[in-house]
Amino acid sequence: MAGFFQKLIGGGNAVSKPDNSASVKGKKDEPPQDLTPVEKLLYNAGPIREDGSDKFFGLENFGSTCYCNSIVQVLYHSEHFRENVVKYPPVSPSWTERKVNVTIRPPPQANGTAAGPAKGQPATKPRQSFSGGQLAPPVPPLRPEDKPDSPEYKKKQAMIRGPILELAQESSEAYGMQECTFTCLKDIFMALIESQSRTGVLSPQRFLEIFKRDNEGFRNSMHQDAHEFYGIVLNDVIANVEANAKRMQELTESTSGNGHAVSNETAPSHINTTFGTGTPGTGWVHDIFEGVLTSETRCLACETASQRDETFLDLSIDLEQHSSVTACLQSFSAEEMLCERNKFHCDRCGGLQEAEKRMKIKKLPKVLALHLKRFKYTEDFTRLQKLFHRVVYPYHLRMFNTTDDVEDPDRMYELYAVVVHIGGQAVHGHYVVVIKTKDRGWLLFDDEMVEPVDKNFVLNFFGDKPGMACAYVLFYQETTFEKVREEMDAEGLEQVKLASQAAELAANAEQVNGATSVPILKVNTQTLPPASENEILATVERPRSTPNDITSPAQPPPPLSESEAHPLIAAPPPAPAVMTKADEAATVPPKTKEEKAREKRELRAQEKAQEKTRKAAEKERARLAAQERQEQNKLLREALRSEQDQLQKAIRESKQTAADEEKRHKTETSDAAGPERGSDNHKNSSSGFLSLADRSRKSMMARKSFAFLKVDKERDKDKAKADKGDRTDRSEGSSDNRSDLADSSTTTTTGAGESASHNLHAQNGTGARTASPLPARLGPPPRSDTAPAAVDRLLPTHKDKPPLMERFSFGLGRKKSSKFLSTS
Amino acid sequence: MIETNNVLTKPSGPEYQFLVGEGLYVLREDLHLATPPPHPSEAPVVNPNPLSTAAQPATVGTRLSLLTLDSGPLSPPVYRTSSRSDGVQGGIPEHPDESQSSTDVRESSSDAGRINSGEMPPLASSAPAFGEGNSALAPPAQKDPNKRRKPKNNMSKSNSSFISRVINHETLAKRLQERATDGMFAFVNINRAFQWLDLSSSAKKADYLTKILFTKAHCLCHDVNRVTRSSSHIDVIMGFSTGEIIWWEPISQRYTRLNKHGIINKAPVFEIEWIPGSENLFLAAHMDGSLIVYDKEKEDGSFSAEDEGGLARTSSEMGSGSGSHHSCQIQVNKSVHSKTQKTNPVAVWKLSNHRINAFAFSPDNRHLAVVSEDGSLRIIDYLKEELLDLFYAYYGGLTCVCWSPDGKYVLTGGQDDLISIWCPSEAEGSSGLVARCQGHHSWVTSVAFDPWRCDDKNYRFGSVGEDGRLCLWDFSVGMLHRPRAASVRHRGSVSSRPGLTPLHRAETAATAATNATGASGGDAASPGGPDPNSQKAEAEGNGGGKRMVVPHPVEPRATTAMLPPVSSKTVDQDPLCWLEFTPDAILTSCKSGHIRTWSRPSELASQLEEQKQT
Repeated sequence: MAGFFQKLIGGGNAVSKPDNSASVKGKKDEPPQDLTPVEKLLYNAGPIREDGSDKFFGLENFGSTCYCNSIVQVLYHSEHFRENVVKYPPVSPSWTERKVNVTIRPPPQANGTAAGPAKGQPATKPRQSFSGGQLAPPVPPLRPEDKPDSPEYKKKQAMIRGPILELAQESSEAYGMQECTFTCLKDIFMALIESQSRTGVLSPQRFLEIFKRDNEGFRNSMHQDAHEFYGIVLNDVIANVEANAKRMQELTESTSGNGHAVSNETAPSHINTTFGTGTPGTGWVHDIFEGVLTSETRCLACETASQRDETFLDLSIDLEQHSSVTACLQSFSAEEMLCERNKFHCDRCGGLQEAEKRMKIKKLPKVLALHLKRFKYTEDFTRLQKLFHRVVYPYHLRMFNTTDDVEDPDRMYELYAVVVHIGGQAVHGHYVVVIKTKDRGWLLFDDEMVEPVDKNFVLNFFGDKPGMACAYVLFYQETTFEKVREEMDAEGLEQVKLASQAAELAANAEQVNGATSVPILKVNTQTLPPASENEILATVERPRSTPNDITSPAQPPPPLSESEAHPLIAAPPPAPAVMTKADEAATVPPKTKEEKAREKRELRAQEKAQEKTRKAAEKERARLAAQERQEQNKLLREALRSEQDQLQKAIRESKQTAADEEKRHKTETSDAAGPERGSDNHKNSSSGFLSLADRSRKSMMARKSFAFLKVDKERDKDKAKADKGDRTDRSEGSSDNRSDLADSSTTTTTGAGESASHNLHAQNGTGARTASPLPARLGPPPRSDTAPAAVDRLLPTHKDKPPLMERFSFGLGRKKSSKFLSTS
Repeated sequence: MIETNNVLTKPSGPEYQFLVGEGLYVLREDLHLATPPPHPSEAPVVNPNPLSTAAQPATVGTRLSLLTLDSGPLSPPVYRTSSRSDGVQGGIPEHPDESQSSTDVRESSSDAGRINSGEMPPLASSAPAFGEGNSALAPPAQKDPNKRRKPKNNMSKSNSSFISRVINHETLAKRLQERATDGMFAFVNINRAFQWLDLSSSAKKADYLTKILFTKAHCLCHDVNRVTRSSSHIDVIMGFSTGEIIWWEPISQRYTRLNKHGIINKAPVFEIEWIPGSENLFLAAHMDGSLIVYDKEKEDGSFSAEDEGGLARTSSEMGSGSGSHHSCQIQVNKSVHSKTQKTNPVAVWKLSNHRINAFAFSPDNRHLAVVSEDGSLRIIDYLKEELLDLFYAYYGGLTCVCWSPDGKYVLTGGQDDLISIWCPSEAEGSSGLVARCQGHHSWVTSVAFDPWRCDDKNYRFGSVGEDGRLCLWDFSVGMLHRPRAASVRHRGSVSSRPGLTPLHRAETAATAATNATGASGGDAASPGGPDPNSQKAEAEGNGGGKRMVVPHPVEPRATTAMLPPVSSKTVDQDPLCWLEFTPDAILTSCKSGHIRTWSRPSELASQLEEQKQT
């Protein structure tokens, strides 16, 4: 057995859960009895998807790292973000051999200590108690983890079941980047996407190590703030990507200087399409999470109204007892008097004056993260207390507090993730997250444990329920009214099932149903177009040793011979299947999943018994029944298939548009570069305590710190105007302007050297704009001999950082930290 | 026994009053109902694991029905001096929850001479009775109209596992005899308890006449039949979280269980209401999106849509098969015109798969407004079993609904913190939205018109929400402040497709509007929906053709008239769940069981006068 596992480790993640796949194969149609709820949910879900949207892994907790786990889960399940992380940096075909360096750790024994093969005997008994759902614990509980419905037990089981993916080695080199928060995050994403198993546990240890390396404040085993972590990770990602873009740009400069056969015209475009030099490369982060707030301040002395814009990655909103998120957002934008110690410096009057101020949203982000300020200082500022205000949040949201000129003022948002803080205090507690997955409904992610939950479960965290679990960060994502309607129509069927489940009255009726209704056997025909499969493999499997062609543009991947060796591809689509949710939606009967499973089991058990006793005749009958069933289901299946086709199409389209958008983005926004943003992550190293402190301040203070940007505003406006010419309907336009603003202001403070390089970026950007949008040619590998040089070159840039950090520690990027600094 | 008694207090002070244009509203009294602890057999409410995924029992707050048995005005209405009979002005038997306003509505409808309310002949209205023409539904001839049938089982002596305890007031019979005939009864459901209160005797107001504790099921809603009420008979129906329904006659303390063990529908009943003018029929909204008509005297028959006639079955199958369009009509799983009416259900309509939060009958007794958790407002011709209009909230679910006394407007409150005013009669080809009312700081839980302060053009209504606020609103169509584009009926559907230019969007909107016009404008024969699976053919046999209703577009914010409240007052510590206007007061209830009575200014004045005199 040990040898077997050695092999496993050696083979990387090419081998998936051995025990599970075996058991699945053995039983074929019949769902194994000892499935966890998630596995039941995913049972016979069809071939593994290439976009990673069907991976539901727990994340290992290394002691108070639940803040990290919940945020990483949210980020992974933010579709746009995941797609973009996977896509960046664009990969050259020669990398396709390589994969993320994953080892599979042997799961712990059920008794906890020794690692060993998880053939399952120790786990069998407790597992079975799962299948019954609410069965009473078979043995009097000794420890919390022995109670089958306790989170501890479930987490332990998750570890036992495995597979446990460990990212032992970083893959940053393969991405052509230095190891950083971004590469580690990408590693996690890639490992999940490439995994052959849909469930399991991933150990984000490396990610945390690197993150802590870069962020001093997190270098302890204390409880950290999930919202703060979220902000820093995003800023890190922006910084890392920008740093990389800058480095690559420099690299190209030198390569073209070295006399590579790259003409001046093609070189910049080359770089831009490949690496998204400057902001274009990072534009996607801004594009997804960034919105723009505008604060209108009216001086009461001279009546001058001034406007100032600032970008945000999330909104921190103050809470009131018995309010709604809508109302909290309203009061966020409520008019506010600046007076007494908090007067406004009016440029016109030339002094501190009383003023009225209002914050409105000028650009709505695609993903709206709402941070509910549940932690607040007590009156005497000695300690943080947690507010247990009841704050209700709807599944859908539109924003009232927008400016008049905002694009799409009625934009519809849907709730897709709720980060929940459990505990009575700010400094202790636990984070979990409830996430709405694309097509698997809502799932609860609690460290190692993943569990499907009822949609209504999401509304359990208003703050007034016992158990001290409160929603802390809400993630809303852009959607449309039409999509919402469609989804409502589809998901209603689910709710019916759950409702009847809750009523617990199904017991007797079920048998009647079981006897009469025809269980639906179905071959899930959802297969993905091979072309796109290859495409993803191309991006995914990168040879670790050949980072040569970094600058060569991404290319339609060659037909992959590896795919045969790839078990995922080779694996036939799972045969007769339990219905997926979608299937169920297609068929009417509002039966619970359990019922169905049971029915099916019963029926098959019956059939088997019959076969044994009265073979021939019964067989015939069974076959007829099956035929009948199949015929009946053909229609359904067809409906399903067309549905799935549509889904696929939609996915493809969305991918296409995403790609297009990014491309457009790259080309259009290249003038707004800013590796300086990279400094943000350093400034964030202010200790957790400090940032906790900011959190409790009025966010208004933060906004003040942006005053010095005002000068640049005019300039920026002009630029924006100029930009407008080629801005069409893309929403990211203003975001770019924003980052542009930030950058230009930095430029003014840092000096000409930087801005010169920016201009260069801008030119490159323009070049890219005119260049062919499809980087289909295989340029000479300009980086082939400069790979080591690249690393060298990066180092100085990196050394640059600390001073930069000091210079920009206020005002830029993250609102919170700047807030604190500006007020202290 | 842990449960405590009800407590009546009379807090006073500036925080217990609020000023509106007409004067000062002052808290008269606060009746705190004892909230029963969970039944021992019930899982502990405080689950040590906050992440427990076990399904929680459905709960609602405190919902009341008010009822007077006798005529005799409590106080003259402020504006109304019209043809209304005294009896109507008096206590209005009220409705459990949000839709209670439909009572106002009914009452005012009697103004129009259309319909019954207690004293008037039940079917005096111009609207036909529900199920008229179906001989199978004809009620068995009763020998003595004054002697009504009582439910089967004795509640006090019941050993049903469904009922935990029944506690009657020691001198119940005496109190019933001695009480003033114009006094108001109140029926209240709070968690697993149901209380019958006599609000007429101020001294003993806190003492319930009867208190029923149920075992596991929570009573979520109830209604009192105003047709059959008399001093010797009161018909009460209650809907439970298990889907079951109890018909209870409090005077004789007898009850009957309907939909026992959920044989007809297992989903919790979120709203229940007697069909206007009917002695026996009532409508229950189950959580799975079904509306089911029951007959209080009929036995349960096991029912599934497939068991019914071919028409119904195809309709239901098609409905779920046709995906996104099944919400654009109602599936009649069993029609009221069905000939098999020996057992319950009388009729089954499936609206959608989402929870129905409330419904209300229109004053003319022809229409039904239904709001759901999916944010939809449906206007249904329940006599013809046909969907007329489909509106959607700005966002989030809709929680409560009521009709204006004249039946022209419909109010909805929802999870967008807004009250929306709709005008279904003029909705054709537009969003149908008249105004949105912004003033609550959380979800709206109940809306009601104040018929005593409504006239032909001006409407007063009130609303309560989870923010503990009572808001009062004055609305008159002419006075609405509309934003810039308001003069033009804007029909933009609020589609937030990024990258769609305004022009483009206007086009789609126009198309949608055209569709809508086509659908609602044409008569039943022309299905306007784009759905190829349109089922008019199958459905036509069901009495009244069926058509696909195109949802009205959602009005963009930029073109919506916004109405501010004339008064917004936090009237309770806890989220409110119900409000009701009576001639002399506004009543509110909150989740924790406080029922507060806010005296109207006029009432206050007269009280002061009385005090002076004494």
